[in-house]
Amino acid sequence: MAQSILSLLRRLNRWVAMAIGLVLFLCAIFVLLDVGLRKLGASFGGTDEISGYVMAIVTSWGMGYALLELAHVRIDILRGRVGALGRSLFDLFAMLTMAGTVTLIALRCWPVLDRSISNMSRANTPLETPLWLVQGPWFAGWVWFAIVSWLTFLAALLLVAKGEFSQSEAAIGAFGEEDAVL
Amino acid sequence: MITYVSIGLLAMLSLSIPVGIVLFLLGFGTDVFFSPFPLMRGLGNLVWSTSNNATLIAIPFFVLLGEILVRSGIAARTYAALDRWVSWMPGGLVHANVATATMFSATSGSSVATAATVATVAMPQAEKLGYDPKLFSGAIAAGGTLGIMIPPSINLIVYGFLTQTSIPQLFLAGLMPGILLALGFLAITAIICTIRPELGGQRRVFPFPEMMRALLQLIPIVLLFTIIIGSIYKGWATPTEAAAVGVAGALLIASIFSRVTIGMLAEAVMGTVKITSMIMLVVIGASFLNFTLASAGLGAELSGFLDGLGLSPLMTIFVVVCIYIVLGFFIETLSLMVVTIPIIVPLVVAQGYDPIWFGILMIVLIEMALITPPVGLNLYVVQGARKSGKMSEVMLGAIPYVLAMLVMVAALIAIPDIALWLPAVLQ
Repeated sequence: MAQSILSLLRRLNRWVAMAIGLVLFLCAIFVLLDVGLRKLGASFGGTDEISGYVMAIVTSWGMGYALLELAHVRIDILRGRVGALGRSLFDLFAMLTMAGTVTLIALRCWPVLDRSISNMSRANTPLETPLWLVQGPWFAGWVWFAIVSWLTFLAALLLVAKGEFSQSEAAIGAFGEEDAVL
Repeated sequence: MITYVSIGLLAMLSLSIPVGIVLFLLGFGTDVFFSPFPLMRGLGNLVWSTSNNATLIAIPFFVLLGEILVRSGIAARTYAALDRWVSWMPGGLVHANVATATMFSATSGSSVATAATVATVAMPQAEKLGYDPKLFSGAIAAGGTLGIMIPPSINLIVYGFLTQTSIPQLFLAGLMPGILLALGFLAITAIICTIRPELGGQRRVFPFPEMMRALLQLIPIVLLFTIIIGSIYKGWATPTEAAAVGVAGALLIASIFSRVTIGMLAEAVMGTVKITSMIMLVVIGASFLNFTLASAGLGAELSGFLDGLGLSPLMTIFVVVCIYIVLGFFIETLSLMVVTIPIIVPLVVAQGYDPIWFGILMIVLIEMALITPPVGLNLYVVQGARKSGKMSEVMLGAIPYVLAMLVMVAALIAIPDIALWLPAVLQ
């Protein structure tokens, strides 16, 4: 049960990461073309605005993927000094805090989108982008992050309850030092 | 408030709650206990405006550039070419480790990626040529830290964003200290290996025509650096645009060496998404904490706090440096930077210091954190790449380079122009 939840989440998030990675890549090409065009005295216009939207959406949707890849940085000074059960408890506590906080963030993001929808707000730019069009996917990304956090927490809780500490650690443990990149 | 926030910060970090989440929780706490008006309503808007940002998208672009370059096969060629040029010095190939890391730093914005890349190409040589593993691996760990100092630098983008300082100026300010540090690393290697030749390896002199041929191998990476940094400072491109150009350049290099495949690109973009999200969670958290602390009156409290301490500006910097060295034993680069910026930067700027200069000083301190045990990411990265021997060997080998960094810290404090001269003349 727990393992099938986790592997489903991993599969879904890999697809998400692939899709937003592609968007990011296309955005880089778009910016590049704009730089080239500007040398010729022309411009697409609005590259800055569009890359901002891409950044917001990539950021919110990538969070869940980073979570399952154990990429969100944690400091394990104390955690590293206790046994398997202790580590699992640290991990569960961290995961619970994370799920709660992310849910709160997602809830607080809703009014932003809600206001844009009810006022039919448009960006104050030449493109006049309807804001709901870009804030919708951005908000959905935070909701997805909250859902992934809670499901991961529940799966890990099941694993710990069954005493499968090493599997729980693989799902929600602290990142391996060698995997971090900054 | 400063005391509570600092204690809360350390307590929650040691409970191993993710760093980004700790920053949000501290922001919530500041709102509940110290703010006269509710700040939570601003949270949604703040998350939106922090991530809807055309400057910050430079981060994933630079990460992508690095991810592609690492897979392009350029590292091995650069290493071989620099070996021809620097291995005549006492210490031999150890210099090539530092030089290759420096070159890579000039195109990569990340220290750990730099260390990992150099370690992968260098380590097999160490065993083959019979080098002492300590200094050899220490040099890679230390050289790798230059990734966040020599532009482009992801950490400087984050610093610039959180402190509202100019990113192009920060990039220029990092260039000289970065090069000086690299030269310092080379010098200390040569000194150590003159006194204790057994720590280095065979010195090798190559015929001049071979050296010249090797230079050709360096052209792509030098060109890439020149395009990225040149276009930013000439004002042709923003850091974001320069990063996009850099991505294209890295792709071109990878395709010249026929390393571009769909699988390679997929790995590169997914790695980019992972690292970007990891960075952005702490950046958004820090920006929320910044906002709550400022609204709750951090500025006024800080000046009161400083008056109470009665420290001179120089003493303040000294205390700040000590704080970073101690925290640096346990907390890593980006986290260390981001959790301290909301409190330390206003404090230092209030004492009349230049925020650009302090950004560079902070980067040196953070580089040190990367190679000081027990938690020093680059030490682990290098150890991971060599697959044998003890971790303590890498730690020992890194000590001389930590000393070089301490000298750099002192030099930056004594002569701020090391950082500020270049941005000033190129204005």
